[in-house]
Amino acid sequence: MSTPFAAAVLSSSILSGTSLLYATLGELVGERAGIVNLGLEGLMLIGAAVGFAATSLAGDPYIGVAAAGLVCLAANLIFGFIVIERRANQLAAGLTLMFFGFGASTLVGRPFVGAVISGLPRLPVPGLGAFDALVWLAAPTALLLWWLLFRTRWGLALRAVGEDPAVAFAAGQRPQLLQFQALAVAGLLGGIGGAHLSVGLTQTWDEGMTAGRGFIAIALVIFAKWNPLWAVAGALVFGGAESLQLQLQARGADVSPFLMTMVPYALTLLVLLIWGWNRMSAAPAGLGRNFFGVE
Amino acid sequence: MTRLRFLLSACLLFCFGLPAAAATTLTVGAIFVGSTNDYGYNRAMHDGLEAMKAAVPGVTLLEAENVPETAEAERVMEGMIQQGAKLIFATSFGHQQSAFNLAKKHPDVVFEHAGGWMLNANFGNFFGATQAAWYPMGVAAGAMTKSNTLGFVAGVPIGYLIGNINAFALGARSVNPKVEVHVVVTGSWSDKAKEAAAAGALIDQGADVVAMHVDSPATVIQTAESRSVYSIGFQSLEARALAPKGWITGLGFTWGPFMTETAKSVIAGTFKPAMVRLGLGQGMMAIAPFGSAVPEAARTLATAAADRVGAGFNPFTGPITDNSGAVRIPAGEAWGGDKMGSFDWYVEGVVGKAK
Repeated sequence: MSTPFAAAVLSSSILSGTSLLYATLGELVGERAGIVNLGLEGLMLIGAAVGFAATSLAGDPYIGVAAAGLVCLAANLIFGFIVIERRANQLAAGLTLMFFGFGASTLVGRPFVGAVISGLPRLPVPGLGAFDALVWLAAPTALLLWWLLFRTRWGLALRAVGEDPAVAFAAGQRPQLLQFQALAVAGLLGGIGGAHLSVGLTQTWDEGMTAGRGFIAIALVIFAKWNPLWAVAGALVFGGAESLQLQLQARGADVSPFLMTMVPYALTLLVLLIWGWNRMSAAPAGLGRNFFGVE
Repeated sequence: MTRLRFLLSACLLFCFGLPAAAATTLTVGAIFVGSTNDYGYNRAMHDGLEAMKAAVPGVTLLEAENVPETAEAERVMEGMIQQGAKLIFATSFGHQQSAFNLAKKHPDVVFEHAGGWMLNANFGNFFGATQAAWYPMGVAAGAMTKSNTLGFVAGVPIGYLIGNINAFALGARSVNPKVEVHVVVTGSWSDKAKEAAAAGALIDQGADVVAMHVDSPATVIQTAESRSVYSIGFQSLEARALAPKGWITGLGFTWGPFMTETAKSVIAGTFKPAMVRLGLGQGMMAIAPFGSAVPEAARTLATAAADRVGAGFNPFTGPITDNSGAVRIPAGEAWGGDKMGSFDWYVEGVVGKAK
């Protein structure tokens, strides 16, 4: 009956890591264009609530995921208007977006607490396992983003904006347009990440159900050194830390449960400690700074 | 014409509105820590209040959901008192201090708090005696398991919860001595993603029945259902709707009778504060209907166990050893009452560490 331990840990790491990966990839694209969005936690919550509500109304989980992505895309464009057009402080605007997300998701999700939905179906692939479509698409999405960022002219321009918008502007790019495009992608992916929690993983909606995963995703961008391929590894490691401790408990490992629940966070600290020195060299130089145009 | 219609409706309102308002004999306020649609703790509280409203004529009910366990609770209850509430149910453990503060300020309002220890002339305390009631749940699970592995998703491992797991394990092993109960602690009363992962981990390790003690059983039950294993619910009897295939049975709070009695005593002016802890067969806890997958033999065993508990059987009657083999309750002794909150060890047959 029981699954081999390593296989169980791997498959549950992938399941827990998927929402993290989408959110991380989204934040990463935004940061590559020079915009840090601390509101990711709120954005994921909106995605989770809208995804669940739309699934419940439409009766189709894929419509739910699409709705979550589009609504979060729109929410991120509002954030974009504030920080790109109105040039507000990105950190303050991000935190505001987070609190907005808490409230808005509660409002949207309230009538749907306790609703029973049929979530994303598991699609078995022989020899690999049975996961939902979002899990199967996660790694290809990372690959696609890597290709877009590092192998296309669009990606080059986007990264140039993130390093120095003034120079990119002088080179004939339109920094603000590119930043809006990056935030649209970020919103879409953040919403999908949130929706995976409610429509894929748990098939329930609960207020504040992201429980800090949005912030872990922001930390993962640093861990991934702003590279989508590293983000896959990062999401697996952090998803793995959580599922490893749960799997160890389920096996009856002789360790205190209080110690076990600390593992993912201890690992976060450790990883930041080890990678920390690299940060300055890898971060986009223009990260968090507003572009005021060139006179 | 418009004015005439207005006058007419005002007259109608006067004729029919006033008698209705005058018929209110008691306004009851209730605050919940979560949403009342959670198929769990808050749903059970809400259902109890609805039962009270139906049983006592003239009750007006004021409810507030998602009230945090902070000073905010005090403001919400204060608002209810301004609207005329004379009886307030503070339903979450963390609402206790706020309710107690208000009780001192408003001696004419009766407060009932769920699961705490404070008492005052106008402040009572109530909760279900859950531990012994978990015993028949264990019996049902022990009769149903094929893998002899039961899974239990635990929120925060406080003494009362450990007591629930212990009774569950004692019940399971009373009908099937080979059973092991595997416990996974999530560290939170409500973290859906972790609950799903925890239930998944237990199923990965071979559990074919999953039970839980978290605020809402919904996620764990749905995870079990989607992976085709059995589930046992807790908190609200209605959780069975979530698992049409794998539902065995569940343990739920039935607060209605107690809340009805309390409302009646407040109306009659005979309210006496008390520390109320009632279990199966005493009106505060009940067993949910069995699922269609449960054969007659298992139903009989579980029902008989529930009847025994209702008749006063105490599962924590010695000798009882913990899972390291040490005798914790010697022969001739029995644990009950306050002792239920002081477990920091698992009984034999539970796989896991309590601290």
